[in-house]
Amino acid sequence: MPEISFIKPALPKTGAILLPMTEGAALAGLAAALDEAAGGAVSRALEAAQFKGRKGQSVTIWAPVAGITKCVALGLGKAETLDADAAEQAGGPIWPALSAEASAMVAADVLDAALVARLASGAMLRSWRFDRYRTTMKAEDKPKLGKLAFAAGNAAAARAAFAPLKAVAEGVFITRELVAEPPNVLTPAEMAERCKPLEKLGVGVEILGPKEMKKLGFGALLGVAQGSVNEPRMVVMRWNGSGKKKSQPICFIGKGVTFDTGGISIKPAGGMEDMKWDMAGAGTVIGLMAALAGRRAKCDVVGLVGLVENMPGGNAQRPGDVVTTASGQTVEVINTDAEGRLVLADVIHYAITKHDPKWMVDLATLTGAIIIALGHEHAGLFANNDDLARNIEAAGRATGELCWRMPLGDSYDKQIKSDIADMKNVGGRPGGSITAAQFIQRFVQGRPWAHLDIAGTAWSAKDLPVSAKGATAYGVRLLDRLVADHEEG
Amino acid sequence: MSIADLLPVTVRFDTASAGLSARACQDQTDGWDAQGQTIHLDLRRGETAAGARAWAALAEPARGLELCTYNMPPDDVLLLAAGAVLRAWSHKPAPRAPLHVVTPFAEPVRAAWPRMAAALAGNLLARELVVQPANLLTPAVFVEQLRRLERHGVAMQVLGPKRLLREGYGALSAVGRAAQSGPYLVTLSLPGEGAPLAFVGKGMCFDTGGISIKPAGGMEAMRADMAGAAACAGAMLAAALRGAGPVVAVLAIAENSTGGDAYRPGDVLRSASGRSIEVVDTDAEGRLALADALHHARGLKPRAMVDVATLTGSIVTALGHHRAGLFGNDDALRDAVLKASRAAHEKLWPMPIGVRHREDLDSDIADIKQCTSGRLQPDACHAAAFLREFAGDVPWAHLDIAGMELAEEDEPLAAKGMPTGFGARLLDALLDSA
Repeated sequence: MPEISFIKPALPKTGAILLPMTEGAALAGLAAALDEAAGGAVSRALEAAQFKGRKGQSVTIWAPVAGITKCVALGLGKAETLDADAAEQAGGPIWPALSAEASAMVAADVLDAALVARLASGAMLRSWRFDRYRTTMKAEDKPKLGKLAFAAGNAAAARAAFAPLKAVAEGVFITRELVAEPPNVLTPAEMAERCKPLEKLGVGVEILGPKEMKKLGFGALLGVAQGSVNEPRMVVMRWNGSGKKKSQPICFIGKGVTFDTGGISIKPAGGMEDMKWDMAGAGTVIGLMAALAGRRAKCDVVGLVGLVENMPGGNAQRPGDVVTTASGQTVEVINTDAEGRLVLADVIHYAITKHDPKWMVDLATLTGAIIIALGHEHAGLFANNDDLARNIEAAGRATGELCWRMPLGDSYDKQIKSDIADMKNVGGRPGGSITAAQFIQRFVQGRPWAHLDIAGTAWSAKDLPVSAKGATAYGVRLLDRLVADHEEG
Repeated sequence: MSIADLLPVTVRFDTASAGLSARACQDQTDGWDAQGQTIHLDLRRGETAAGARAWAALAEPARGLELCTYNMPPDDVLLLAAGAVLRAWSHKPAPRAPLHVVTPFAEPVRAAWPRMAAALAGNLLARELVVQPANLLTPAVFVEQLRRLERHGVAMQVLGPKRLLREGYGALSAVGRAAQSGPYLVTLSLPGEGAPLAFVGKGMCFDTGGISIKPAGGMEAMRADMAGAAACAGAMLAAALRGAGPVVAVLAIAENSTGGDAYRPGDVLRSASGRSIEVVDTDAEGRLALADALHHARGLKPRAMVDVATLTGSIVTALGHHRAGLFGNDDALRDAVLKASRAAHEKLWPMPIGVRHREDLDSDIADIKQCTSGRLQPDACHAAAFLREFAGDVPWAHLDIAGMELAEEDEPLAAKGMPTGFGARLLDALLDSA
């Protein structure tokens, strides 16, 4: 990841220069200076390439003047639609355009400081990569760019605006790393250990093991975990940013199945490797806590993650088993591959009884059905509270982490009636994501609650504006924005 | 033929009891007394459901039902009666039983009833069409049965297989090619001032899946794959009976069969719009038929278009059997459709067409792919993104009613396995809001 700095506008002697340009804008400031130094080569090249500044459009001019390796003009789209949020998305492609350079500068001197900071944030978000397990990759195949400077009219203001964005990006990176880690490395115990560094940011971290959870009556979570030799954990992370002695926190709850074989209801082999990221909900909550603490968010938040591995061991739970959740409600396990909701049931109950949240959001890679419903652009949003749902939708639009509201209702709830227990853990194929949400709703005790089914958005098979293909950390920026917009005012 | 003749029961509203042997009242319990059967009128799930349940509870439906409504407001009395009428429908011919509704507001209710009755007749026409098996309701027979709308003032134009081929309806032609009958593109119209509203319906009399053949289990339900077209036909009947218009309905009627001449995955079709379409899965035939139907409807210069189709299994996975999916390209039309949905008590849920959904349909060889291959595909959204291309700049809404056309379990308005007529009343109500 490059070190990002903000400098006063001056043409560099060496390295690459990127010109971020809105649609139809003339070369100005540093861009005009460069063009002049190059004897008009830049403006001629842009005209020859029919560069209009459309969003994502780019033109590369090699060695326009001595010392400068290349100049890249990058389109930002129409000036009137370039708000801070759009700038972040537009800033993403800065990274791949410059990453092979030894040094580079973005000539953003004609843009507002707030926009410059968001451009930089976009570039930083896009720069994340994960090379821990590459031992033979040649240095020249890796990004060389260690420092990326943004020239800004008001460099100090841009720097100040960037500080909280950087903290959020660092939270995003924590999530992406957790999601990308292989399942033999990232067991529940290891994932819990990786929450501990959050203490340095001022987050209280408490780790509960199987004994404590047994005492708490976590029959559903422990039932999922019992088929694996890797013990389960629950991690409770508390950030007190309000400065108040006593306040009602908000709670974020994440599903953390570090690997999901499906258990006895085992999954087909094709694509099962993707199940390493079945802990993305928990990974998102951990990264979110780091983001909130990193930028010293002025509110009280508790993040709770249930970490288990779903394996088909000799002691694994079976279809037909009945488990008793921490709430006392019983569940008939019809399909051991619908394990995420079992984990969430106990963690949510604990969150409510222990932390009395004002409102809460859970995140989970919960159902394949949500991919069949919505695809990979929107996460499924379920909520028992319209205000909360609207706020989440708005935060999603602002951060480019889109979600789509899905319905809840009694007619769906009926599908999880059981003949032997209070409910069963699946309701059939029709409305499969909805019945999963209905299951969770039975544990929220009427609190304002929203559920994000991120099975389609936690991982991307292709590059996105602010993340390369792979782990997206979907939800960290959305929920950070939700907190910023509604809990810190 | 009057509206009353189109209903399965003889409906009367009166201030006095007719002394029928079966009576439903709020303060009754289920049982028997000296006069006959007593039925509890359970209003917890709404008046329509209550009326329907009361009819379903009849020990001897042939002897009819008396509904006691006490001081229930006229609008609720109408809904109560509507529920009983809808539940009284049966695909088996039966003598017309009496439905006697006792209300102090008999006069205003009587005055308002024809409007409701027209919508009910529309719903029941859709059911009658859907319930017929595919060996009897072939494309040609479907077209023939639509002729009965003509006596209610609906004009009908039929494009047959040869004409469709000649005039470049390449998508619909390909889908219907392997079957013994059809395909047809039927346009129903009712005159009126200004630009019409256009309904567009998928009328797949049977859907084997074609070369991408469906698994055998459950294939019999595919006889109902013409429910979208049936709903449009029903709405046209309702509109005709109450003198609404202008409105047109374009129905793509075909059978997706297999055969030596069947279209194949990989084929590239030239649609009526001129756009070329790469076929990926011959079981995604509905959107191909609709592509040509939507294009045809556009030619009729409508103020808005709404298509109705049992289109995807994906929407059933998404929303189950309790709501149909609503897609579209126009916020105002979407709101009007949602309003009509509430008025008709036919539930919808808005669904997205994302940028990615359209990108996923980029084809290597043609203007657009009809769908994508592989598992876990958002096919309902893909289908909507596909159809949007053929709606052009006309305000357009798309109702994916798969999962709603037959009652999955015993429901108030329809017995298990029976057609629901979903969509007909909604489209009829839309004539008042869009």
